[in-house]
Amino acid sequence: MRENDAVETPVLAVDHAAKIFPGNVVALADATLSIRPGEVHCLLGANGAGKSTLLKIIAGAHLPTKGSLVLDGVPQRFRNPLEAARAGISMIYQELDLVGSLSVAQNMLLGRVPSRWGLVDRKHRAQIAAEALEKVGAGFGLDVPVASLSIANQQLTAIARALTLDAKIIIMDEPSAALNETELERVFAVIRSLTARGIAILYVSHRMGEIRAIGDRVTALRGGRTVDTFPVAGTSDQTLVEAVLGRNQALLERSARAPCGDTVALSAPFLKGPHGLEIRDLSVREGEIIGLSGLNGSGRTSLLRVLFGDLPSTGDILLNGRPYKPKQPADAIARGVGLVPEDRKMHGLVLDQAIYRNAALPSLRRRRFISHDSLRRGSARVLGDLSTRFSAIDQPVRQLSGGNQQKVVFSKWVLNGSRVLLLDEPSRGLDVGAKAELYALIRRLAEQGAAILVASSELDEIYANCDRIWVFHEGRNVRCFDPTVASRDDILTAGLIGHRDASEIAP
Amino acid sequence: MSTLVQGRNAAEATGRFTMASLTAFLLRYNFIVIFFVVAAIATCLSNDFLTWRNICNLFQQSSVVGIVAIGMTFVILTANIDLSVGSMVACSGLIVSLLMQAGIPPAVAIPATFLIGTCIGATLGAISAYAAVPSFIVTLAGLVTIRGVTFLLSNGAPIGGLPHGFGAFGSYQIPLLPGVTFPILGLLFLVVWGAASLVLRYTVFGEYVFATGGNAEAARLSGLPVRLIVTLVFAISGLLSSLSGVLLTARLRIGQPTAAQGLELDAIAAVVLGGTSLFGGRGSVLGTLFAVMLLQVLRNIFNLLGLGSFYQMTITGLIIIAAILLNRVIDSRQGRR
Repeated sequence: MRENDAVETPVLAVDHAAKIFPGNVVALADATLSIRPGEVHCLLGANGAGKSTLLKIIAGAHLPTKGSLVLDGVPQRFRNPLEAARAGISMIYQELDLVGSLSVAQNMLLGRVPSRWGLVDRKHRAQIAAEALEKVGAGFGLDVPVASLSIANQQLTAIARALTLDAKIIIMDEPSAALNETELERVFAVIRSLTARGIAILYVSHRMGEIRAIGDRVTALRGGRTVDTFPVAGTSDQTLVEAVLGRNQALLERSARAPCGDTVALSAPFLKGPHGLEIRDLSVREGEIIGLSGLNGSGRTSLLRVLFGDLPSTGDILLNGRPYKPKQPADAIARGVGLVPEDRKMHGLVLDQAIYRNAALPSLRRRRFISHDSLRRGSARVLGDLSTRFSAIDQPVRQLSGGNQQKVVFSKWVLNGSRVLLLDEPSRGLDVGAKAELYALIRRLAEQGAAILVASSELDEIYANCDRIWVFHEGRNVRCFDPTVASRDDILTAGLIGHRDASEIAP
Repeated sequence: MSTLVQGRNAAEATGRFTMASLTAFLLRYNFIVIFFVVAAIATCLSNDFLTWRNICNLFQQSSVVGIVAIGMTFVILTANIDLSVGSMVACSGLIVSLLMQAGIPPAVAIPATFLIGTCIGATLGAISAYAAVPSFIVTLAGLVTIRGVTFLLSNGAPIGGLPHGFGAFGSYQIPLLPGVTFPILGLLFLVVWGAASLVLRYTVFGEYVFATGGNAEAARLSGLPVRLIVTLVFAISGLLSSLSGVLLTARLRIGQPTAAQGLELDAIAAVVLGGTSLFGGRGSVLGTLFAVMLLQVLRNIFNLLGLGSFYQMTITGLIIIAAILLNRVIDSRQGRR
């Protein structure tokens, strides 16, 4: 679609930008980025590589310490996000900044309500909103509250809002984090229609598949510096991963796994739960890692919550050969079952509390009095085993990186001696390096005899790390695959079509 | 990583104090700094301030609100609030007076009052925790209801004719050295503070209070009995309010149904001034102790300067606002909210 790539002037050029915070904290050392009109420019980088700092500089939330920013040939110094938005740069945040109780139209024109004589001009507002919604192909009304929309439709609302601002560049920060594959395809279709109209997209993602599907060019950041900009077509995954990590990373390769034992740790011959959950013949042995795959809402999370006693269920569950009917999480924990929840910040950690006090929390139930020294010692030992990096064990967990926070959540269950681990999207929001490290940790826990159920929406991860993969569809576990035999695409299709095929169910 | 941990321990062991760690300490315990600054000002303003007699008075006068504020600290640490404490103080005072007036010996009447206070507190807490109603609403209803019951019990009139020993207890001075005494109410305040400190620091219950306030959902998913913990902190608040009510009655030597109006606000102000976060999970009873004394010292200064209560209210309020802003600045420096 663009033969004259080389001669086209960039709509946005960031030249050797740096951001140094007080105390000589270098958040961004030297970033150069050039975005052409109508392209999808991807931004790739590990956590802490300076991605968000660069985005904030472009969106006007930070002033660069050094370097320049040129929009349409005009040098700019945005003092706040509003100036950037007026100049044509719109940012769509990962956690969408929409007001759930207000309507779609109200959200789209929040802060810029058209008015006449000081009163809201509803007709004019509806007209502006309807035009923008039509451009993104939205199938929902203007007047519904945003909270009632799916995440994908909220995403479209945010994009439509950017259109009402006449954006030249729309920045999307990991839009796929909360979307399933069908919903993501819809967002992609909208992105393509926008680029056809000359709007440039700056797309941030950790996922290689998405970059391949939507990106024209990709810029890799490492340690606060731009490594290079590559055309997406004609650059191998290996090259990109190396650019991000600076070393070879065999994340996607299956590593050899010792065969697990024959002792069944947890089994659910038949189980019914809320949201249409219906499970048959699911079991996990000691030392085994079972992957739970499927679209969002397919019942993976519901199953884990049922097994953790957080949702009611009927039917039979056996734990170590004895009946298991947890009524609340405390019952599950007492029987040695631990949950690593999907949202570690909201559900997994007390963020302002010291690392060791978080790690020790579930195991305190056996005691009445506390010796902080012995808690520190016990936690430090386990955290060391999990190779957690921190500067002081009394530090609030909030100060750790995402990967290390997740290790603190794991350490809660290791300290508690839990033998059945339920992991809900354990790698969410982690960069490529931290993900690889996390799965290495999960494999090691399995080798030590833990029975592990891991739910993930990223098939690659569980394909590379699990002994068996159950595919979920509309609340039911439809098929079980052995990833050493089955192909990745077969598993994906099963998740999309999803009929239960009795002959395929593994023992 | 293990080397990092060891490195830190080594630095701690040598006990080196850097400028940065001193600043961090002063920021965290800013209420202590503020307290001593205000106390120093008071000493300069009046020769009568730094006398043993005046210090005893400070403790005697602050004991009632102080004990209530200790209970309030538990409640606020779980990110709840208890507005019923003022009414609880008055009601307990009245109950203990009525029981003793009816001829029941203090040794029975006082524990019975404590039991009633604990049960009322636990009930309010349980309603909030199990029915998932904000504690602000439940205890606001408690404030009105309990005050109403207090007036009903006494027909609005004070209850007198209490045993002589009971009244004497309220103003009893413990002899420490010949000629040096300390008020028993002040001592009880310190004992309650010490017990609360130990509970919060060295019991699993105390740890659960911090975790519940810091993130109730994470606490629940870690197996903590979150609703029971919330019920218990309100029971503690009820118990300490009834203790305060009994002590106040002993000091006044009558059961006064109009006593302790607005006491809940003084207690909340002290807890917040002492650095406990209204969002829960962070704070200490040490802060509450210093803040209670700070507010009492301020009142003391105003009295020594002969400024009326209108000035006292205005300036106390302004100081609370300033302290809260200071804590807010410290929070944002540390990247919280």
